[in-house]
Amino acid sequence: MSSSMSKRLSNGSFLISRYIRTKARAFCSVQPPDNFLDSNQISKVFDPGYSSILHNSLKKTRWPFSALPNSSFLGPQNQHSLHPNRNGWIWAREFGSQAAMEPCTSDGLTVDGISSSKWTILEESESDWKSHAAAIAQSIQVIKRRLQWKKLMVRLDLLSAELDKPDLWNDPVHAGKISREHGSLMGKMKEVKAFEQELLEHIDMIKLAREENDTDLESDSMKALVRMRRDSKDKELEALLAGENDSCSCYIEVQAGAGGTESMDWAAMVMQMYQTWAQRRGYGVTVVDEMPGEIAGIKRATIKVDGEYAFGYAKAEIGVHRLVRISPFDSGKRRHTSFAAVAVIPILGDGSSRVQINESDLRIERFRSGGAGGQHANTTDSAVRIVHIPTGVTATCQNERSQHQNKASAMAVLQSRLDQLEMARQAQMNSQHTQSLTEISWGNQIRTYVLHPYRMVKDLRTNYEVSDPDSVLEGDLDNFILSYLSASLDKGEDERQD
Amino acid sequence: MLKLRLSGLSCGVCGNFRIPMPIPRSYSNSASSIALSSIDVKPKVPLYLRPPSFSASVSELAKWHKWAKNLASSVGSTFVNLDNGPDSTLLRRELNWLLQDLIELQHHSKILPRLESGNNENLDVSVALRAPLEEMYCVWRQRIEERRPFQYVVGCEHWRDLVLSVQEGVLIPRPETEMIIDLVEDVALNNAPELAQGVWADLGTGSGAIAIATARALRSHADGDARGRVIATDLSPVAVAVATSNVQRHGLEGVVEVRKGSWFEPLNDVQGELAGVLSNPPYIPSGDMSGLQAEVGQHEPIIALDGGTSGTNDLLHLIDGVASMLKPGGFFAFETNGEKQCRFLVDYIQNEKAGRFGDINIVSDFAGIQRFVMGFHR
Repeated sequence: MSSSMSKRLSNGSFLISRYIRTKARAFCSVQPPDNFLDSNQISKVFDPGYSSILHNSLKKTRWPFSALPNSSFLGPQNQHSLHPNRNGWIWAREFGSQAAMEPCTSDGLTVDGISSSKWTILEESESDWKSHAAAIAQSIQVIKRRLQWKKLMVRLDLLSAELDKPDLWNDPVHAGKISREHGSLMGKMKEVKAFEQELLEHIDMIKLAREENDTDLESDSMKALVRMRRDSKDKELEALLAGENDSCSCYIEVQAGAGGTESMDWAAMVMQMYQTWAQRRGYGVTVVDEMPGEIAGIKRATIKVDGEYAFGYAKAEIGVHRLVRISPFDSGKRRHTSFAAVAVIPILGDGSSRVQINESDLRIERFRSGGAGGQHANTTDSAVRIVHIPTGVTATCQNERSQHQNKASAMAVLQSRLDQLEMARQAQMNSQHTQSLTEISWGNQIRTYVLHPYRMVKDLRTNYEVSDPDSVLEGDLDNFILSYLSASLDKGEDERQD
Repeated sequence: MLKLRLSGLSCGVCGNFRIPMPIPRSYSNSASSIALSSIDVKPKVPLYLRPPSFSASVSELAKWHKWAKNLASSVGSTFVNLDNGPDSTLLRRELNWLLQDLIELQHHSKILPRLESGNNENLDVSVALRAPLEEMYCVWRQRIEERRPFQYVVGCEHWRDLVLSVQEGVLIPRPETEMIIDLVEDVALNNAPELAQGVWADLGTGSGAIAIATARALRSHADGDARGRVIATDLSPVAVAVATSNVQRHGLEGVVEVRKGSWFEPLNDVQGELAGVLSNPPYIPSGDMSGLQAEVGQHEPIIALDGGTSGTNDLLHLIDGVASMLKPGGFFAFETNGEKQCRFLVDYIQNEKAGRFGDINIVSDFAGIQRFVMGFHR
């Protein structure tokens, strides 16, 4: 609403005056007022007369604004001027403990208050502001839960304290990491706060419009609420992907379990499922490494999935996938159960701290060689395998058209695998999302695909199931992924509160 | 009936679809002598650079793809057992690359997965192609049945970070040879940065691969305005034409000069001044020529492969010449057939050229075969 509102404020002095009257009442109320405008901005937007009145009243009531100095009425574009560079985190340290201070409307209604009033949530088409407000408030609570709000606040306090240490920049790598994480968490926190603030302001405007019988203003604000209600659904989704590396591209690796051709065929089906899933989402997909089975399918394969949040979604697929069907490779037409293990590795951005690879720790070898080579052989196969001797981690690429490019691709895979090892070492809590194929136990089944005697795909973690395996195998995975992500985050928050 | 009217890709004996018998040596010789005798050689345009002025429906393309895939699968490991040739997996990968070159890049993500998945929607949508589909039937048959090298089929070879035009009469650069450039960068230019400003030579340049990649390495190691340059020589007019066009496509006209002639002959003006001499000369012993993999023995130029009885005729000639061509401190690196030749050459240098070279080393390729001999002129 920010831009439309500020336009309204700067153009229509009539509305402004009414608004200010309302606000003046609010300042007198017992409830700490929400921050309406910072004094710096008032002089820009309002004419001098109003400015001085407001300025004074704001000065007197300055303290409650501190809890939320950044979620200003004028929106994020003005925030930078208010809190230039490093000051951005100072207030968070000073007032972080007050972050629980709730913003509210002129008559003291808070977002939690809206939720606890249990207003009926009607269809979006019903023009009832209470219903919209309740729906939005509900979303805000979902978002906060998914962001692990309380944990996030504690972490922010901790990071702010860390940033405040005078010797922080003695270790620039550590300092960079701290300040990146702080910036990212702060961004998430501010976004939610601003969203809450926006909701309350619209409610104020609607109440005001009704008082003044201003149908234009009422319908504008109602429209704004409907838009917020829609946005809130997107924000709920976004909040599912708030993990540190969720926005990264990733590698997806599939390995066939024991059971010969039938399980290699299953591994190929799983890989195909991810390729179509990724393509449908608009991600770039490249096969990096593929070990075909002798008769059909694959023993193992690695694809690179390029695009925003590829890792955030794909990480939900880590684990063992089980297939039950009549095997087309069994002349006796018996029912078989096969397994395929899936690992997902984030491709960290250049900004993140990546493992330094020492050239002398590497052994590079031709993947399939034999014969005299050189001029004797004409082959388009220039696959290389790179071995990181200290860790034994290897990477192979054979799908590029020159050895140079195969080597570069294999190096990129190796880098990500080593980064993953390091991440797992550093953060045990993260390790479930960074397991490599070798670490995934075959007992760790996450989903079953039954093609015979009945047809069903069921996620063993969420119990989400569908009766159409074909659509799932054709890449229709989003519901499985989203239900797992929300279930795991909700569970995470509950555990924390215990 | 398939058309034989083909601009870029030669379709040769297309009407004849029998599994070919090994083609007698004389056939290949006559083929290369025809190429050598023509004075004005016009380089062919690789498939991926031709305009997308043909089209086919998705269903026609899918039909071709399915046919081609089956043909590739029918090979199994026959060629591997026969002469260490390609297996089905590799041929199917080549098929994907052929498709990539055939279709415009911006349509890859839409078309290629559809062919794999057998999706049946919008089958009559038309796809722009860089060659007619009949020609694709023809060239894929040549690939499988005549063992025509894939790189000649698509008219290019991906080598290091370059895409080089190649055609019959020009040796297809090998993956092993990529490492010569690593030696130039890691050994020569790192130890003696001043060499980046000198004149280098790539003898028997073929497609121009070594010369072009060296020119780019010199450029990235250049210090200030002083720029090194490369002279590429080759006896074959086809090679000279192809190398020249590759140099142009990489925008290196002022940096790489292609000269026609045998080994050092065209280099009289830079005698004793060269900063570096590189070469991948013919090194296969004559006795091994008849047992070569079909893609090599039946299709690549003999003149670029046959190194005489022991395979070292040209390598010895190069070592004899390099002493007088290099300036003091100049670098040389030659590709060889393996350990035996490497050891022989190092012995030759130490005994016959005693004191004239230093830091003589043998370097292995990624398959662990001793592949290169290199050193510095004293």
